Amino acid sequence: MELQKFNYDNKIVKQFIWATIIWGVVGILVGLIAAIQLAFPSWNFGIEFTSFGRMRPLHTNAIVFAFVGNSIFAGVYYSLQKLLKARMYSDVLSKINFWGWQLVIVLAAVTLLSGITTSKEYAELEWPIDILIAIVWIVYGWNMIGTMIKRREKHIYAAIWWYVATFIGVAVLHVVNSFELPVSLFKSYSVYAGAQDAVVQWWYGHNAVAFFLTTPFLGLMYYYLPKAAGRPIYSYRLSIIHFWALIFLYMWAGPHHLLYQALPDWAQALGVTFSVMLIAPSWGGMINGLLTLRGAWDKVRDSAALKFMVVAVTAYGMATFEGPMMSLKNVNAISHFTDWTIAHVHIAGMGWNGGLTFGMLYWLVPKLFRTKLFSEKLANTHFWVATLGMLIYAIPLYWAAITQWLMWREYTPEGFLTYPNFLETLTQILPMYVFRIVGGTLFLIGFLLMVFNLVKTMAAGNFIANDPAEAPALDKSASRSATGETIHRWLERKPVRFAIWAFIALAIGGAAEIIPIVFIKSNIPTIEAVTPYTPLELEGRDTYVSEGCYTCHSQMVRPFRWETDRYGEYSKIGEFVYDHPFQWGSRRIGPDLARTGVVGGQMYKTAAWHYNHFMDPQKMNEQSIMPPYPWFAEKDMDFDLMPAKIRAMQTLGVPYPDGYDQEAVADMKAQAKEISEQLKASGIEISPDKQMIGMIAYLHKLGRDISSNANSNEAKKEVEKVEISLTNSPDEIAAGKEIFTATGCTACHGINGEGNAIGPSFQDAEWTNGGTPSDVFDVIKNGRAAKGMTPYGNQLSEEKIKQVTSFILNEINKK
Amino acid sequence: MKLVSNVLQDISGIQIYYIVGLLIFVVLFVYIFIRTYFLTPRAELTSIKESIFEDDELNSNE
Repeated sequence: MELQKFNYDNKIVKQFIWATIIWGVVGILVGLIAAIQLAFPSWNFGIEFTSFGRMRPLHTNAIVFAFVGNSIFAGVYYSLQKLLKARMYSDVLSKINFWGWQLVIVLAAVTLLSGITTSKEYAELEWPIDILIAIVWIVYGWNMIGTMIKRREKHIYAAIWWYVATFIGVAVLHVVNSFELPVSLFKSYSVYAGAQDAVVQWWYGHNAVAFFLTTPFLGLMYYYLPKAAGRPIYSYRLSIIHFWALIFLYMWAGPHHLLYQALPDWAQALGVTFSVMLIAPSWGGMINGLLTLRGAWDKVRDSAALKFMVVAVTAYGMATFEGPMMSLKNVNAISHFTDWTIAHVHIAGMGWNGGLTFGMLYWLVPKLFRTKLFSEKLANTHFWVATLGMLIYAIPLYWAAITQWLMWREYTPEGFLTYPNFLETLTQILPMYVFRIVGGTLFLIGFLLMVFNLVKTMAAGNFIANDPAEAPALDKSASRSATGETIHRWLERKPVRFAIWAFIALAIGGAAEIIPIVFIKSNIPTIEAVTPYTPLELEGRDTYVSEGCYTCHSQMVRPFRWETDRYGEYSKIGEFVYDHPFQWGSRRIGPDLARTGVVGGQMYKTAAWHYNHFMDPQKMNEQSIMPPYPWFAEKDMDFDLMPAKIRAMQTLGVPYPDGYDQEAVADMKAQAKEISEQLKASGIEISPDKQMIGMIAYLHKLGRDISSNANSNEAKKEVEKVEISLTNSPDEIAAGKEIFTATGCTACHGINGEGNAIGPSFQDAEWTNGGTPSDVFDVIKNGRAAKGMTPYGNQLSEEKIKQVTSFILNEINKK
Repeated sequence: MKLVSNVLQDISGIQIYYIVGLLIFVVLFVYIFIRTYFLTPRAELTSIKESIFEDDELNSNE
């Protein structure tokens, strides 16, 4: 048969490699800064653009889409051409893919640091960028499928099945999760609300892991590992089985992010079941990768590329066992919201994605530049530094997770929380956060060694942008029955049909879980008392979203005694029906906020408290790592946009009265004035136009609607006071002092009980509720809802309250 | 999607759909497994696995 001459496009591969390297440095560096901010909050610098809530999504987007995304394109563009013996379908599409993707990344960086975000994890980018992503992704798919159609190689190798599944999976996920109603160029609201938004978001979020971080890398593994080892893949049969099983099962696993949360049990059960089943096809991939090295393990000893690939596949196996274990409800009950999730993600991200990328680059760059790697020794050094860095990163975080979950759920013999103050659990794990910085630094150092090594390799090599090749034209075989092929063999040479079957396999899971949640009303029982956000509360919510508060704070009290004792009533699905988007959060670096609006509840704080806390959290609680938000007192709320926001909410089904958009601004200003006057009464002067007012209004809304009216009735009831006699024992007074400090009384009453803008002084003779031991004991135990004094009766035993009373009256007040 | 809402109005008993779906998956899995492992010629698979290598790339230590 006549040989056809053509050229491989190496230039596009080189461009994507450069982008991978550059964005990798940026992404890891941003992550390092975020890690430093958690241990040393002064690194937030008190400016909005560098606060943790904005840096964290920048890190995740930079790593996932910039670093990993470009490495996928680099690996795919090289291997696809070689496997199909064809140049990419269109050089123009290749260029649009490359430059379009880099534009997405730059826009992401600018918008995320500016606080322009949807707050949906790994889908934070606002709607104009979502459209750009869709366009670039279609261009990529068009280029890839076009190349498959014009190929010269009859059979489509296994790696390419994974690339096809990646393209289709990501397209479906991105489109469905990005349904949002724009209000302005920089702001939109998710079409979904509450639990529905949560299901769609975590169907997307988990499958971003599946179809962006797993399937393309399995494809890369199927090509680059055999090439680097000089050994064919262990089992082609296994590749067929685990491919179809994986792409089918993965799409069901999303609800494992929502266990014991406000989601119907049937959805949670599906998430658990399919997550556990996923171990099998995932380990199929791991087994296929590791056993490929049979007879070639001696090569691993000297090759950094192979070392990285081995660690990558091993980390993949570890993470895909750990993940299903974390999906078991009893494990998830304790691991969720802790640093275990962070450790898990980074083993997978640094080990599997990072490791395979490094291995691929160490093999590909010398190949592309027709030279040897500049320094194999340096590459091996990178390997050991990176592996050590990964372990130093993850192991302390596992330790931190266990510490935190044990402390959260520990009870005293009397039946009270041993650590009622959330901050006590955080201070214990801060040393582990320092280790995280060390681990991340090592990983960055290793990466920089690689950059140096690859740049030197490129400089010494001979790069050919258009690499000449020749191959016979495609042999268009007859139909399946004539050639006696198996069904799969036939399907493997029909790219469009293959893509359609892949789409069917991966679409089922999402449809089965999302359609009932979205369209069957009985899945979301409503609560009559829950009302839509007022315009001011909505504005405050938008500020909460913009600042990324969800990166540290959850709004989801789970039905465990150790959560309800700490935060209040557990969260019901009907509370969130107006939440566009949902804000359940996935991590508790700070406490849960779902009940901050319940007057008289454990989490309620006055407007003055919130003002002072936002301005300088460390002044209120010395050990706090929360960033300061001084710009809340400077920046104005956007009154002009409010009518459009109300109309958007009405379109999404929120029952504001007809024509309310015309009254919204007036209502907003009236409510803002009330809060501003409350603050003024506490000695705080602030204009009612500032963002601070909106944030306070929003926090005072959370949980308020479902808190029982008994709170206000109880405040009126005569509570029988207990007769208390003070203790003069130095030990008991010292114990009372320790409780006074550890429980956070100092935040409102001053370090020495001298009082401040929030709480009264204990040093003078003025006692609003009476100054007898019984009076003081009663206020501590039952609180004073109207004044924002938290009731500590369900956190401290009577003996401890007596100790605190004695400390206040016998020491501070010197009676 | 009124059709969907109307058909699936009552959520009770919905688990049957998922059980059926799982059963379909298991049946298909077993079928594909048997066809792949017992009915596909080994030589053909070996040639596909090795097709990604250039002439001198394949490690001769098999």
